[in-house]
Amino acid sequence: MKARPWLTVPGLTVLAVALVWTEAMAQNPQATPPPQQNPSPPSVTVLGSREVQGILGGEVRSTGNEAMGRIADVIVDGEGKPRAAIIDFGGFLGVGSRKIAVDWNALRFVPEASKRYSISLELSREQVKAAPEYKQGEPIVVLGPTGTLERIP
Amino acid sequence: MKPSRRSLRGLDWFVFFVADVQTGFGPFVAVYLTAEKWTQVDIGLVLSMSGVVALLGQIPGGALLDWARRERLVAGIAVALISASAIAYAGWPILPVIFMAAILHAAASCVLGPAIAAISLGLVGPDKIGERLGRNARFASIGAGLSAGVMGACGYFFETRSVFIVTAALLIPTWWALRRIAPQEIDPEQAHGNVAAPRVTAPRSAKDPSALGLRSLLGQPALLVFGISILLFHLANAAMLPLMGSVLTTRSSEWATVLIAACMVGPQLVVAAFSPWAGRMAERWGRRPILLAGLAALPIRGFLFATVSDPYVLVAIQLLDGITATVMSVMVPLTIADLTRGTGRFNLTQGLIGTMMGVGASLSPTLAGYVTDRFGSPAAFSALAAIATIGLVLVALRMPETRPQAAVHREPAHSPVP
Repeated sequence: MKARPWLTVPGLTVLAVALVWTEAMAQNPQATPPPQQNPSPPSVTVLGSREVQGILGGEVRSTGNEAMGRIADVIVDGEGKPRAAIIDFGGFLGVGSRKIAVDWNALRFVPEASKRYSISLELSREQVKAAPEYKQGEPIVVLGPTGTLERIP
Repeated sequence: MKPSRRSLRGLDWFVFFVADVQTGFGPFVAVYLTAEKWTQVDIGLVLSMSGVVALLGQIPGGALLDWARRERLVAGIAVALISASAIAYAGWPILPVIFMAAILHAAASCVLGPAIAAISLGLVGPDKIGERLGRNARFASIGAGLSAGVMGACGYFFETRSVFIVTAALLIPTWWALRRIAPQEIDPEQAHGNVAAPRVTAPRSAKDPSALGLRSLLGQPALLVFGISILLFHLANAAMLPLMGSVLTTRSSEWATVLIAACMVGPQLVVAAFSPWAGRMAERWGRRPILLAGLAALPIRGFLFATVSDPYVLVAIQLLDGITATVMSVMVPLTIADLTRGTGRFNLTQGLIGTMMGVGASLSPTLAGYVTDRFGSPAAFSALAAIATIGLVLVALRMPETRPQAAVHREPAHSPVP
């Protein structure tokens, strides 16, 4: 049930909708923080769009330039260090696609070959296809950089 | 009055384009929203919300059609709403907009399906409806098959949002086709099932359609049996293709995408080839043999999926889905037309059966997912096949023949001259 939230009963959906709205309402006042007496200048770092990019929804290709799917989620540990990326793999028009967890270290964001920003996975489709499906709330089985399966409890 | 060739061709194309328009709104929505940096929680929320609306909207949608009595206008508005929601999907992929668009699409779809059946019934009348529904199914499946190919290519070669731009642009040809159907040729009495069949015992309801409410509809044993078997059918059927696609993704790396595409398009070819024939045979042999043949193909497909592992053989087995889809797309509206003759409640009853369909179809992935997680996909296929068998047995034992006896010969006043 947890892995497929769109399948839950109507009642839960209505509840979820209500929660989202109240959350949105609750966040509104925070949008305008009260003016402070002695504002210390906040430290600001500017990151160029060539150096960094958001990766959610980004297209992943294998080193052999096969289309692997898109990044649907990122799994982080207690220190906030990324451990795995969830890739929506395969399928046609959304039918038959599977969410698969791959080790963070198997991903390259500026591949050696191109020198440009793009997401590349050092695994082939052949290695990825048999990986078990990712289910929210259950132990995640991560496909390692060498194609071996590893469990994050 | 015999409907003109122009109107009938207009209906052909309307059904064709409506099927095109609906293609992009299936499972592809999840792919698109993922590409637009949506989180999985929000995507799930949108999908479940539109599922709930699609379910709850069926009966009001049918009732609205029975009340409005202007199928062409209602269908035109519904198509425009769907097109507007496609523009919203393509243009503003943010939560409130997509939320509204998904609800709008689901609500409009609730009306559109019954409207097509009502226009068909209004044009050709109850005696020719079998063949007409077969023809509708042919054009719908050609539309769905073609647009799956075109939209798949769009999503692959261009941005994913191009799928929704194409969908929105389809409004123009859809309206053009709808305009070719002459409104004066749609007999409103026929379109709502008000024309009494010779064997229906209560012709009074033809004069007083309000006499028959939802409760008395549910009281009809044949309708109840039909509804429950439709529910069981969709409970068994809905998850089978996605589950099979997921199995294909694990078994074949290079060709999985092409094989899944073949699994989606292949059955459509079977429907396009055989559905008019199935409609004619339903008039000649009766409804039961056709319905039983279609329902029997489903458990066979399930058990074969459970046992076979070669990906290419799986695609061949998937062609059995074509037989089932042929039968269901013709027999569901046809049986409803039979059962509601002389009641004026054709569209309301379509909504009722549509709700049963929706309940079955929405529970199906949950059930299949649960069994797959626990016991593996062969067990899931077997479970689905077992449910399909229950539905088959129910129809075989309890569903009466609904074809009006010798309707063509005994009712010359209403039947168009062949």
